[in-house]
Amino acid sequence: MAEPKNLTKNIIELATFYVGNALCGMDILKVQEINKLMEMTKVPQAPDYMLGILNLRGQIVTIIDLGQKLGLGAAELSGESRNIIINAPGEHVGLMVSKISDVVMADPGKIEPAPANMNGIQGAFFTGVYKTENKLIGILDVKEVLRID
Amino acid sequence: MSFEDDEIVQGFVEESLEHLAGIENDLLAIEEAGTDIDVELVNKVFRAAHSIKGGAGFMGLSVIQDLAHASENVLGLIRAGKLVPTPEIINVLLLAADELQRLIENISTSNTIDISSHTIALNSIFEGGEAPASASMRATNTDIPAPDDPFETAKISVDATAESANPVEPEIRVESAVREEEHLAEESEDSYSEDDDLVNALPSETGGTPKTRRSSSSQKTDTTIRVTVSLLDQLMNLAGELVLSRNQLLQTITSGDVRNAEAVGQRIDLVTSELQEAIMLTRMQPIGNVFNKFPRVVRDLSKKLGKQIDLTIVGKDVELDKTIIEAINDPLTHLVRNSVDHGIESPQDRTRKGKDACGLIVLKAYHAAGQVVIEISDDGKGLDGDMLAEAAVKKGLISSDQAKVMSEKERINLILLPGFSTAKKVTDVSGRGVGMDVVKTNLDQLGGSIEIDSEVGKGSTISIKLPLTLAIIPCQIVMTGGERYAIPQVNLEELLRIPAAKVKERVERVGDAEVVRLRGNLLPLIRMADVFDIEPTYFDPVNEETYPDRRRNIADRRSKSTPLFRDPSAQEKTNSLEAREESDQKQPRKEQERRQSPSSALNIVVVSTGAMKYGIIVDRLHDSEEIVIKPLGRHLQQCQGYAGATIMGDGRIALILDVSNIARMAGLTSLDGSERAGELAEAAKEALTKARDKQALLTFSSSPSEQFGVPLNQVERVEKIKRTDIEEIGGRRVMQYRGGSLPLISIDEVASVLPLADRDDLLVIVFHLAGKDIGLLATGPIDAIEISAEIDDVTLKQTGIMGSTIIAAKTTMLVNIFEIVKVSNPQWFEDHAAYSGIDTGDDIAPTILIVEDSNFFRNQVKGYMEEAGFNILEGEDGRVAWRILEEQGETINLVVTDIEMPNMDGFELTERIKNDKRFHHLPVIALTTLAGEEDIARGKAVGVDEYHIKLDKERLMESVHRHTKSAVAA
Repeated sequence: MAEPKNLTKNIIELATFYVGNALCGMDILKVQEINKLMEMTKVPQAPDYMLGILNLRGQIVTIIDLGQKLGLGAAELSGESRNIIINAPGEHVGLMVSKISDVVMADPGKIEPAPANMNGIQGAFFTGVYKTENKLIGILDVKEVLRID
Repeated sequence: MSFEDDEIVQGFVEESLEHLAGIENDLLAIEEAGTDIDVELVNKVFRAAHSIKGGAGFMGLSVIQDLAHASENVLGLIRAGKLVPTPEIINVLLLAADELQRLIENISTSNTIDISSHTIALNSIFEGGEAPASASMRATNTDIPAPDDPFETAKISVDATAESANPVEPEIRVESAVREEEHLAEESEDSYSEDDDLVNALPSETGGTPKTRRSSSSQKTDTTIRVTVSLLDQLMNLAGELVLSRNQLLQTITSGDVRNAEAVGQRIDLVTSELQEAIMLTRMQPIGNVFNKFPRVVRDLSKKLGKQIDLTIVGKDVELDKTIIEAINDPLTHLVRNSVDHGIESPQDRTRKGKDACGLIVLKAYHAAGQVVIEISDDGKGLDGDMLAEAAVKKGLISSDQAKVMSEKERINLILLPGFSTAKKVTDVSGRGVGMDVVKTNLDQLGGSIEIDSEVGKGSTISIKLPLTLAIIPCQIVMTGGERYAIPQVNLEELLRIPAAKVKERVERVGDAEVVRLRGNLLPLIRMADVFDIEPTYFDPVNEETYPDRRRNIADRRSKSTPLFRDPSAQEKTNSLEAREESDQKQPRKEQERRQSPSSALNIVVVSTGAMKYGIIVDRLHDSEEIVIKPLGRHLQQCQGYAGATIMGDGRIALILDVSNIARMAGLTSLDGSERAGELAEAAKEALTKARDKQALLTFSSSPSEQFGVPLNQVERVEKIKRTDIEEIGGRRVMQYRGGSLPLISIDEVASVLPLADRDDLLVIVFHLAGKDIGLLATGPIDAIEISAEIDDVTLKQTGIMGSTIIAAKTTMLVNIFEIVKVSNPQWFEDHAAYSGIDTGDDIAPTILIVEDSNFFRNQVKGYMEEAGFNILEGEDGRVAWRILEEQGETINLVVTDIEMPNMDGFELTERIKNDKRFHHLPVIALTTLAGEEDIARGKAVGVDEYHIKLDKERLMESVHRHTKSAVAA
């Protein structure tokens, strides 16, 4: 995973995915894996955006409904739903997204500041936007998403 | 200062800390030895200081080097016998050792720290040791063990000075300073070799005690642990085995050989368990790591407080998980300090009380039942339960009624209640209690428990029970709302299943809370679904399905629908929920059928938080399993009800419940299920008093098919024994009990009932009669219940059986223990006042008026009074009694009356008697089933002379005799 980065110094790879209809992306190096394990254990009393906890090869992973967290409403589980497992400090956290999309090579210089609102999502959740030929990718601020209110 | 190599620095730090840990205890031992210097020991400390000095010098840590050097100098004097290690000197050395440790823990900043106070103190001792040398001019052989400094010696022990100070004092050497220098030169010469030692020590001491507790808070790096190479080898070996087994498994899977798979499965099972054990071993550390610091703590503190305290440590080798060892440090320190500070009295107080002026604290660790128990006991002043209870009531933690019914032990354990011990006031009253609840919370977090035993004036013992390891704990698995949860076994008291038919009877609703009656106590109940705010469900064992639960009260029936005729076709549709509801609606409301359905049974997990017990209602009870605790993520930290999560056999996750927090969430906070439970108990008691004439019975069996009951207030205690505990001696059965022989009888010896069941586990119900203890042999199950007084005293009455009643659909014979004992041990009663007949002489026998509305009780009381020879008049209620008094008042010598009666109750009757000139001299004895304090107060106010509990023949008769005697005499 680290190889391409070394080869093309100024290009970052974005793992992109859909949250509802919004196309979002994040630095692929932050992603540990993407899976479709949906056998979650509900945690009563947890915040609404917490879907539950998951056994990921012996580790307890907290799964967050990204749609709900971003204020788009609860996600509907479908065959295309996926958990993006990311390396958070001290633990692994899963973000459930509606659909996985491509890996996009992006030039960091071309990332623009995020607008106040993007497809109904608060700009605070994005570090910036990246424009491709036909799409607009909101680059997710993972720290902000994982922040505990 | 340059750190050439981190690894070398790290090695130096670890090594030095290890040396320092040893120094502390060694210095204390040196101090204790006083003039009787153990050269070996001093040498050890000397070398430790020297090693640190050498290492520090090598790495340019000049401050550490200087301090170590100064300490070494003083130690050198002691070693040479030129300085007597007084407590003052040792103190300076200890402080220096502390400072050294601090410096080494913060090694990067050590060179900037000012240590002059230490070096000055050390150097003045060092030079002071030589001061007399300059005063005296004569050189002598230094081999003479000369106690040198008269000032110092004077300070220590009187006998030492008396013996030695004067005669030898002038013989001090001129050369000593020179010699010291030589000495130092020697030392620095061999410092290289010592540094070699330092390096060698690393591998050679792997089995030693790693300094984990030193993991300083300032630098939160990963702590390291030392593991013996043999253990590592074993782990490697096992890992190899695991790889082999995996290969075998893969092979088997490809070939599809089922039989082989089984064998491989077994192999993996074995290897993993061994691996688990071995890995656990790497985490195990001797508790001595924590214990070793206490001699110092006790010494310093007792010195400061002017107390004399001996500390005995037992069981240093007991091993515990590293994390527990680390976490137990603070609570233990707290407890030990408490013992020193508040437990042990001052020497003066102790002598006055006739105790040894020197107090004793014993710190003990041992294994018991898969747990480690740590006991801290002192022979100090102990805890005063009454004062604690008073303080707790004052603080509003418990009600005064709760306090009244508490046992001494419960009162002492009040100290653990949160909120109890924050204020200083309590400390003044109790002598203890600063932060005991914090200690308890800490232990709770470790899955441990704490218990306090104390006797005023004799001392206290605090026992802490800890799991061996935190990583794997046995848990009870339960299910609610379709999810599984784990409840740690340490918190588990018992599992209770209330069959559908009994739910209504056992579960009561007081206020807005539900409680269950369990062996005479009210246990608060919480529904897990309520606490966690999840949809209530119940599990139908017939269909093996979970359905939503729509009942509002636990005791409600499952269906609230209107009774209609059942549609036979509905039965076929019962799989879908809607269809089920429909069928419910169509189902005729047959109370029996619905109530008896197994799905209506309640599954209750009775848990204990240490301070209180309560019941959690769950849908299903599963097995008990050993689980591995995994922490929950950051996002779930705010959910208080969980202690973590675990992965079950099927790969899904179950949450581990934190019963203390759940109690808090449900609003149960303090002892005995909080004020709420207190209120409940109060309300329930009130309800009881209102329902007239209830009798508390202890029910038990003797043969498998017969049930017996005996009034609970006659029972002293119930013991569980084995059949082998019974000894047959001299034709009688006895057992050893509290240091004496307890005579044993069984009901079938006297009454014609079926013989005692031939079982290994028996119960002995102990009664106290005629001044003696006697045990009634019985078998379980036992229960304590309250019944109303519908007692049939005709049908089954016989010797030893006073009557019968129906309890829980079972005919229960009420045992007359007096009669049974009287038949089996007649001689007991002959010389006991309560049982003797009256000595009437020539006079007519005194006449007693018995007022009681229950035939049964009236006949009972009448029976034994007539037996004693009294004349009896009887009335069913106050009004009838009053009429009898009006008619033949002059013949009556004593009135025995019930309180709860129709028409005119006992209070009113007494009031009338006492306010009437004709009768006010008559003694009135009131009989009651519950001697509530308010009742007693009220009775006393209207003039009741004495209160007795119904069926407590012994006390009643004693006072009847007493009163009639004085009445007749008057």
